[in-house]
Amino acid sequence: MELTDRQSDAVSELINIAFARTGAALSELTGQRVILNAPEVSMHPTAELPKVLAKFLPGEIASIHQVFAGPVAGDALLLLNHDGAVRLTDLLTDGQSPSSRLDESAREVLTEVGNILLNACLGMFGNLLDVHVSFSVPRLHLETLDELLDSLLTGKGEPQYALVIYTAFQIRDSAVRGFLVMVLSVASLDRLIQEVEAWEERQGQA
Amino acid sequence: MTKTGPNEETLLDAALLRWMNDLAGHGILITDADLNIRAWNRWLEEHSEVSAAEVIGRNILEVYTELEKRRLDRHYKWVLEGQTRVLSQRLHGHLLPLPTDTSLSGFTEMQQTARISPLIHDGRVIGTITVIEDVTERVAREAELQAQVEARTQALAREKVARREAEEANHLKDEFLATVSHELRTPLTAILGWSNMALTGKLNAEAHDRALETIHRNAQSQNQLISDLLDVSRIISGKLRLDLRTVELPPIIEAAIEATRPAADAKDILLTTELDPRAGPINGDADRLQQVIWNLLTNAIKFTPGGGRILVRLESVGSQVEITVEDSGIGISREFLPHIFDRFRQADPGTNRMHGGMGLGLSIVRQLVELHGGTVRAESEGEGKGTTFVVSLPFVALREEPVMAERTLPTAINPLEIECPPSLQGLRVLVVDDEADTRELLRAVLEHCKSEVVTVGSASEALEALAQFRPDVLISDLGLPEEDGYVLIDKVRALSSEHGGQTPAAALTAYVRAEDRMRVLRSGFQLHVPKPIEPAELVAVVANLATRLGKG
Repeated sequence: MELTDRQSDAVSELINIAFARTGAALSELTGQRVILNAPEVSMHPTAELPKVLAKFLPGEIASIHQVFAGPVAGDALLLLNHDGAVRLTDLLTDGQSPSSRLDESAREVLTEVGNILLNACLGMFGNLLDVHVSFSVPRLHLETLDELLDSLLTGKGEPQYALVIYTAFQIRDSAVRGFLVMVLSVASLDRLIQEVEAWEERQGQA
Repeated sequence: MTKTGPNEETLLDAALLRWMNDLAGHGILITDADLNIRAWNRWLEEHSEVSAAEVIGRNILEVYTELEKRRLDRHYKWVLEGQTRVLSQRLHGHLLPLPTDTSLSGFTEMQQTARISPLIHDGRVIGTITVIEDVTERVAREAELQAQVEARTQALAREKVARREAEEANHLKDEFLATVSHELRTPLTAILGWSNMALTGKLNAEAHDRALETIHRNAQSQNQLISDLLDVSRIISGKLRLDLRTVELPPIIEAAIEATRPAADAKDILLTTELDPRAGPINGDADRLQQVIWNLLTNAIKFTPGGGRILVRLESVGSQVEITVEDSGIGISREFLPHIFDRFRQADPGTNRMHGGMGLGLSIVRQLVELHGGTVRAESEGEGKGTTFVVSLPFVALREEPVMAERTLPTAINPLEIECPPSLQGLRVLVVDDEADTRELLRAVLEHCKSEVVTVGSASEALEALAQFRPDVLISDLGLPEEDGYVLIDKVRALSSEHGGQTPAAALTAYVRAEDRMRVLRSGFQLHVPKPIEPAELVAVVANLATRLGKG
């Protein structure tokens, strides 16, 4: 299954609305202008994820992971490489204590930021689908891509797809890039795409 | 699977609630969907000093009005929509204002991480649960760790800079050593070559004289190189001491000019002066100031083509005395001008090869002038347009009688052209030196002036000779084997005047620091003559000693 240009444009637009809200929330929270954008949206079978992510995320990865459940269920993740994670924390905390490592406090900041972003996107889809999804408490992991994908994909029988959104946080002339990944079952994905198309049509009519 | 009946489930719920309330190590706060507080556990009671009875049933946003002020109420709103929120310590500090022990952490309020989640029943949010963790200690520990990491990083960076500087200094030293050995070897080549030829005895008289003249000139040039090197090394190690007195500059300048005039004449360079006798006096070391002017003049002569001119001017400018050495020489390019006084820095190697020298002279000039509290600057309109050096020295009010410069710098005088003062004729001179070459040089010069000379190689021989030869004047090296020159003069001065105890004496030595000179004079010598000895200077010293005869 692949997204048509129209579908991917529509998803991008929706994601950008959610990102605009997240950017505003983060700006207020941190006292500095945070802009988020989603230049690229693509859909992949989960089996392709190692190939898609590997070239962008070498080394250790910081992932903020939330499970969501309800009529649409799956995993939502924000992925940053280690350096990006450190830099993002420094930028968001105004570089109070620039450091090359992620201590517990830095991990909490990342968890909070990831949580805001993931909730904004999932909340957006939930509203669109008019369904109520519930979220797990977000967890932050530091591991290699292989380890991450292993724990994410094993034990899930039915074929799954991942919506991969390339993201960029822009703060104080710096950009930190990462990926937002939503892993969904085929059924959930079908439903999501239908709703996205319906939304897109409504936009056209309005 | 064990079946749990409704009764057992209720029991478990009750047990869970009791655990949550009494034993949990976190603050746990439960509200209903209207944010009215329904549970406030013991941890919260203990840390907030607010009892459950006081808050149960009240709205959390009313109990803690600051939540709204800090816009944290939004998080509860989002949770009521089904989201889960994490509030990090670093971005928020705390959720609820709770006191903490300031002395342990430096924080006045407990640092917290909070998680707020919806309580959902049948797909409907029926309340919220907030779990608060006290992270004060952890944050304090992290800050401490961070400070340590930063300190280590800074230390590492400093170390890196220091290493780079050391490497650079080392590199400069290597380069300098290479230059030094080259420069020292150049005159040596001439000395060795010509002395070899002279020793074969195959040179005719004219060639023989030329050989000697060449050897002499090169030895002098090498001597100058070594003096410069020693000066630089003393300046670098901070061991150079100035013998400061109130001095008049005109005699010092004139002495330096006289010393360099032969070199200027040889190139047909016109050397003129404009000395204002009212400029000065200044507080300075006469020898060192003469060296400054001598270096500037030598430099000017070196870089001025034949037929050029050099002007030396002395004048008062405000509270300063300015000595200007102006030449019509090759000038200095704009790029090199700022580096002209740098130690071990040479202008382009081509120029240096053409003119010789290590370029130490100007570096010494700057150091000496600065030691005098003065400044030196170079000005040039560019290449081919001449150079002007200006030395500014602070003027001092006259405090004591000015002392005239006593010693002139080594000059290029042919030993055979020494003017012999009449007082040397028939004078009995005892020379004490353990080096045969030096003894023979002294003997040759003094005998040239018709003195009677006896030479010995040790202090004990000297005492014997003193008794037998009854010299008018004693000249002794300080570095003698067994008993040195100080011991010798002690023993001599201990003798009665009939036995030569008052014989005027001069010390010969390679140690020429001011403190050495003081020690020499205090120990009983009348004069001090630095090595290597110049024939003219030797003659002057012996003549000076001769005038003291009968005065002691």
